[in-house]
Amino acid sequence: MAGVRVLVCGAGAVGARAARHLVADDGIEAVLVADTNRKRRMAVVASLGPRAVPVDEPDPTRADLVVAAMPANRQSDLGRRTVAAGRHLVSTADSVAAVHQLLDLDAEARERGVTVAVGAGFSPGLSCLLARHAAAELEAVDEIHVAKHGTGGPACARQHHAALRGAGLDWRDHAWRRRPPGSGRELSFFPDPIGGADCYRASLPDALLLVPAFPAVGRVTARLAATRRDRLTASLPMLRPPHAEGRIGGLRVEVRGRRGVTHDTIVLGAVDRPAVAAGTIAGLTARWIIGGRIEQTGACGLASLVEPLPFLRELARTGVRAAVFEGT
Amino acid sequence: MALLRRALAAVGIAGIIAAVLRLRGSGGTPPQSGGWRELSGPDLR
Repeated sequence: MAGVRVLVCGAGAVGARAARHLVADDGIEAVLVADTNRKRRMAVVASLGPRAVPVDEPDPTRADLVVAAMPANRQSDLGRRTVAAGRHLVSTADSVAAVHQLLDLDAEARERGVTVAVGAGFSPGLSCLLARHAAAELEAVDEIHVAKHGTGGPACARQHHAALRGAGLDWRDHAWRRRPPGSGRELSFFPDPIGGADCYRASLPDALLLVPAFPAVGRVTARLAATRRDRLTASLPMLRPPHAEGRIGGLRVEVRGRRGVTHDTIVLGAVDRPAVAAGTIAGLTARWIIGGRIEQTGACGLASLVEPLPFLRELARTGVRAAVFEGT
Repeated sequence: MALLRRALAAVGIAGIIAAVLRLRGSGGTPPQSGGWRELSGPDLR
């Protein structure tokens, strides 16, 4: 692993955390940081120490692995260039379009022998890991339902706002169904201190990554917690500027399936600042790829790529902790 | 003219009712017992 160089594209709330996670690894020679905002790029590099290097242009050929932590709509172009250059990619993309486009790189990534980790963030990302972890307790998985609360940095908040006016993508009876945004209200209970929140269908990519990881699953849905104001103003531009670092967020993953002849439901969750968790997950995924702990090539989500137990164990050491709901 | 006014009023009222129903939501069932427990130690072995 010595002499490895990683390019982190995007020095916002998520990218800065991912870069911080990577510079802490002595096996990584240099972390190249690219961001269109020069002032932010230089501030992040200054805070990371001598192994962080600012770069003007995100050129994948200068690194062994690329972490894409910029807004989702710019990630697919970088992904294409990264795979074409024969480099691994870790993407934090959280939009349906970007995830679709990155998954389309699967054949080329396999051909070139590189890994494209799609949606390696809080949701998708941790949501896929928790689903895989819960599924290990079951003999067959019938349904997976994801609910997400809160946002990371400004790009994530804008994506959250846009998701509330885009059609939801449900997997039902082994077929994709498009659902109206804001429909399917469900009161979901997240780990404390979030508690209960109304969640609605929205344009979320989690199902796109979970369905290939669980080929026999009959139903996969993803919902987003939203307030009345969020829903009322979804079709307007954002009325207030988003929080620079994001606030606390939560995740709830419900997996229904069978153990022998009995039906069972396992509910896992997490509470953290989404930007912090997403940056840590992206950084850890990058370290696993570099360290040879992810050998699978092609483009897929974390549920298909990593062993959940050791990954969750390492995440817990960094402070990103999962929880299980026990009760009725 | 009166018919047009009535139709517009009906559409407007229906829109207001739909908006109220869409934004209002309704209650749900909170967990009856138990709670969240952090995954740690033995859970992650």
